[in-house]
Amino acid sequence: MNKNEKCNISIRDLLKKVFFVDLIQGLAVTFGYTFTKTITMRYPDEETWVPYSRFRGLHTLNRNKEGRELCVGCELCAKSCPTQCITVVPMEDKTGKGIADRVAARWEINLLRCMFCGLCEDACPTEALRLGRQYELAGKTMQRQLRSKEELLGPQPVPFDFEGGVITRARLERDEDGVVVKADLSSQKRWW
Amino acid sequence: MVNVLEVLLICVKVVIVSLILFMLPLPLTYMERKVAGHIQVRLGPFRTGPHGLLQPFADMLKLMFKEDVIPAKADRFLFKIAPIIAMVPVFAVYATVPFGESVTIPFINKELTLYISDMNVGILYVLAIAGLSVYGIILGGWASNSKYPMLGGLRSSAQMISYELALSFAAVGVVMMANSLSLLDIVKGQYGWHWNIIYQPVGFFIFLIAGVAEINRIPFDMPEDEGTLGAGYHAEYSAMRFAFFMLTEYVAMVTISTLGVILFFGGWDGPSFLPGIVWFVLKVVAFIYLFMWVRFTFPRYRFDQLMTIGWKILLPLSLLNILVTGLVII
Ligand code: SF4
Ligand code: SF4
Repeated sequence: MNKNEKCNISIRDLLKKVFFVDLIQGLAVTFGYTFTKTITMRYPDEETWVPYSRFRGLHTLNRNKEGRELCVGCELCAKSCPTQCITVVPMEDKTGKGIADRVAARWEINLLRCMFCGLCEDACPTEALRLGRQYELAGKTMQRQLRSKEELLGPQPVPFDFEGGVITRARLERDEDGVVVKADLSSQKRWW
Repeated sequence: MVNVLEVLLICVKVVIVSLILFMLPLPLTYMERKVAGHIQVRLGPFRTGPHGLLQPFADMLKLMFKEDVIPAKADRFLFKIAPIIAMVPVFAVYATVPFGESVTIPFINKELTLYISDMNVGILYVLAIAGLSVYGIILGGWASNSKYPMLGGLRSSAQMISYELALSFAAVGVVMMANSLSLLDIVKGQYGWHWNIIYQPVGFFIFLIAGVAEINRIPFDMPEDEGTLGAGYHAEYSAMRFAFFMLTEYVAMVTISTLGVILFFGGWDGPSFLPGIVWFVLKVVAFIYLFMWVRFTFPRYRFDQLMTIGWKILLPLSLLNILVTGLVII
């Protein structure tokens, strides 16, 4: 019985070999994949990846609901930064409210040295500093890599309450300094 | 007296066929990348022109303007002529390949044959001349004076010997069926759905496998085996000389596809709602797609496996095929 079974299997294997069954199965698999949807993202002209909100990208400085800057110029971010790329110069504004009136006269970050570890974000007592989701940071000049308070206070391209983790339509924009990929958050799709 | 019009027509046909062959790599490289892309769930070229359609032209420009490097210790003369030696035979093959029977030119009311010449030993000529192309590969590998190209060249000669035989023997079965060596007669013998694939399935499979080996494509691309030999015989070539080798490869692929169509798939025979030449082109494209599909499906065989398949399986099988064909015909 046992011997017979063995014989049967070997005949089947032989037939499989003669009629190239394995090879044809392989061809069928690749042929099937030819007509599936491709997973290539057409970055940057048409699509871009918007990361999750936990992503650590370009720093953002935030305001409270009344529009006042949250940063109190405590310099804790500058102190906690391992690469020492943040420069904070505090000043007191003249509204007479004591310590709460401190703001940063100058707040500047050197992105060439920053490693996006997020320690500055953790150190900030007022939650003024958060790492945002912008990751296209290439530019043509060194000057572009020094971002100041004025730039970082600007409105966020991706708001913080947007969950992220999606592919959106995008547009590539060039200016004299470099390129920016503008994501259109109204159209979203998951990549998987 | 030589008819001037006749000579002129032949010249025109030669020029047209050569031009088409020269332009072939443009659509074929595009097709190859798209097939590869979609099999691997990618898009393939997409950024140059709509759907990447201008990519082949960009590549062509790039190859034209690249620096033509000749290694310092290479045999300069052989190095320079090797691509030409490889290229000329694959073009010469088309002197006798028929693309259709004949059409009548409307205004001068003249019968125009869709082949340059109908040799009575057509298939012999095609197989013999196509085989010459391997000299270019061997010389290219040798003249580079570099290890990997030389190994590639040697491999290609060994591979050529083991597969050329099986390829020719596979064709012999067809020749016996048609009772003629002329490619035109072979096609004519298959009119009305009497395609040889029905009568010669074994011959066709031998032809297919040996054909893939003959044109050095994966799974039998031993001479240029990127994995172990860098780029094989053309590792030292650059710019237009490299382009000539690529051209040779693509035209050789088209040659094998054309031969396969002529020998086994009834040439331009097909339902009459489309002209014969369209059927012919469609079949050739299907063949080329098959070669690309195979390329992106199978891994490369080892060199000894390749030799085993050639000598121990394909050659005896093709001889057997001839024997059986002979017995059946008698
Ligand atoms: S992310 Fe890290 S390296 Fe960058 S500024 Fe903050 S603390 Fe410094
Ligand atoms: S960003 Fe935060 S940590 Fe840095 S100076 Fe302002 S308040 Fe302090």
